[in-house]
Amino acid sequence: MAHPGRLADAQGGEESMGSRGSWFSQEVERIGHLCSERSSRRIRIEPAMAVIEVEGLGKTYPGGTKALEQVTFQVPKGEVFCLLGRNGAGKTTLLRILATQLRPTVGHASVLGHDVVREARLIRERIAVVPQEARPQMMLSAYDHIYLMSRIRGMPRAEAKKRTRSIMEEFDLWEHKDKLTADLSGGLRQRVMVSIALTMDPELLFLDEPTIGLDPLGRRQVWAMVRRMTKKGVTVLLTTHYMDEAEKLSDRLAIIDKGQTVFLGSVDAAKAHAGHGMQVIVESNENGGERKVLSPTSDQEILQVVQRGIQEGKRVTFKPPTLEDAFIAMVGGSIDDESA
Amino acid sequence: MMRAREAVYIGLFDSLPLLRDPMLMILLSLISFLPVLFIFVFNAGESAFLQSLVGAIVLSLAFAGIGSAQSVYFNKHWFRFQDIFVASRVSPVSYAVGLSVSTLLVSLPALAIAMTLLFLQTPAGILGILAVTLVAVVTWISLLLLGFALGASTKNTRRANSLPQLLGLLLGFLPPVYYPLDRVPSYLQPAAALIPTTQAAQLAKYYAGLLPLSAPEITFGWAYLVGFAVVLGLLAARLAHWTDP
Repeated sequence: MAHPGRLADAQGGEESMGSRGSWFSQEVERIGHLCSERSSRRIRIEPAMAVIEVEGLGKTYPGGTKALEQVTFQVPKGEVFCLLGRNGAGKTTLLRILATQLRPTVGHASVLGHDVVREARLIRERIAVVPQEARPQMMLSAYDHIYLMSRIRGMPRAEAKKRTRSIMEEFDLWEHKDKLTADLSGGLRQRVMVSIALTMDPELLFLDEPTIGLDPLGRRQVWAMVRRMTKKGVTVLLTTHYMDEAEKLSDRLAIIDKGQTVFLGSVDAAKAHAGHGMQVIVESNENGGERKVLSPTSDQEILQVVQRGIQEGKRVTFKPPTLEDAFIAMVGGSIDDESA
Repeated sequence: MMRAREAVYIGLFDSLPLLRDPMLMILLSLISFLPVLFIFVFNAGESAFLQSLVGAIVLSLAFAGIGSAQSVYFNKHWFRFQDIFVASRVSPVSYAVGLSVSTLLVSLPALAIAMTLLFLQTPAGILGILAVTLVAVVTWISLLLLGFALGASTKNTRRANSLPQLLGLLLGFLPPVYYPLDRVPSYLQPAAALIPTTQAAQLAKYYAGLLPLSAPEITFGWAYLVGFAVVLGLLAARLAHWTDP
């Protein structure tokens, strides 16, 4: 697969929509301008403080494996920022550098205003991380984990007990407090791990593949936790290779492929990169007949495809692009295709 | 004070599963004393029994030290608590001390009984017992450092379990620790003397009043033990990282 090697962004996405020249996109643009003019007259909107700033970041492991190359982005306060990519794309490497667990080889990264290499100690006091596939000790209870972590992190005994109870109640773990984690479901165990991370009220939470291996219910429980965190003003950076997770949780996302950022922007902007923003499915009416999924590149082409399909007596339906379509368009293969 | 508390709670966190299972703890604690039982049952004489008891005391801490390899490996690669601690205000020294202390907790009960027995059965006296303890502690530190180096460089879960056991066999059960050095064929004795646990056992038996040693032998024994600890310290510093390179 040829690597596209391009960096699309939200602005690029909007431009490509605008270039369609349709009345709809022109109208959206016009209303957008009006709104921004009005709001700028009333209040001056300060840009949100960047909690994470990454510039030209690269990582080559001691064995020579190049894991990251020229990664640049910013994450403002209170955002859920998602790193989306295949296994081995470099997401975990990037997260571990930002969480001060791994040293970059080139470039610069700062977290909460501090350099990740020179001022790691100042960062560590204000962040928390749930590493990929982290798991609780099977022979300890959920309460043991959260209480002992609070004590390790310097909380006095009475406060640690109070804090443990409040976190466990908040995340519906209190009823399971005395059970060994070996007896908890995958979703509950993952909630224990996230609860551990929250013992110190972090300003920035790193979640590395937080729902890997969980059933749909467990995944939803973790998503709900993330949403609760962001309501409190916590910034969340999470990695995932689940499209639905990125779509449901992220305010903005970066698509990482072979250590490079191939897209940076909102989910909607990413979808705008999938063909012309609309897929046309042309199917034979007979059972087991031919089925084609087309991504026309202009309004004219959409019309032609529809007319031809109807003339040939085929069923023509439309499907809005998904994040997966956008991923395939940008990366050149499915997220599950590790060999691509 | 804060760092000491950090270390104590990390140690408690690491060892609590075992502390909550006293039956398993007693069994693990007694493993290094099983050969003493066999030697006692097969009645090889009081001297042989006491020599094996001293050997067991040294090895009890040595095995605890090697056991740190599993703590280091599983906390880093399996539970991933090391990554959680790195991204927090916990210091690497607290983490290392905490894991080290947790290895000791398992062997302390059996060790206390063995020390009392040694005190009552030998002419060593308090000073002798303290010297035996010092030898055992230096051996523990050496093998603890080996465990850290091993646990940090192991990439395979199966090896993380089997390598410490293999090392335990090579350093504990095969060399003349439970039994006297002169039981080893004379042509193998110089090789056996190169094993640090042999040197530790020789010194401990001497301080317990069970074996005569000359001044040069004592000096060599200590120099060998301390040198071994320094080399393993350098190895651990090179291989065991707090943040990954």
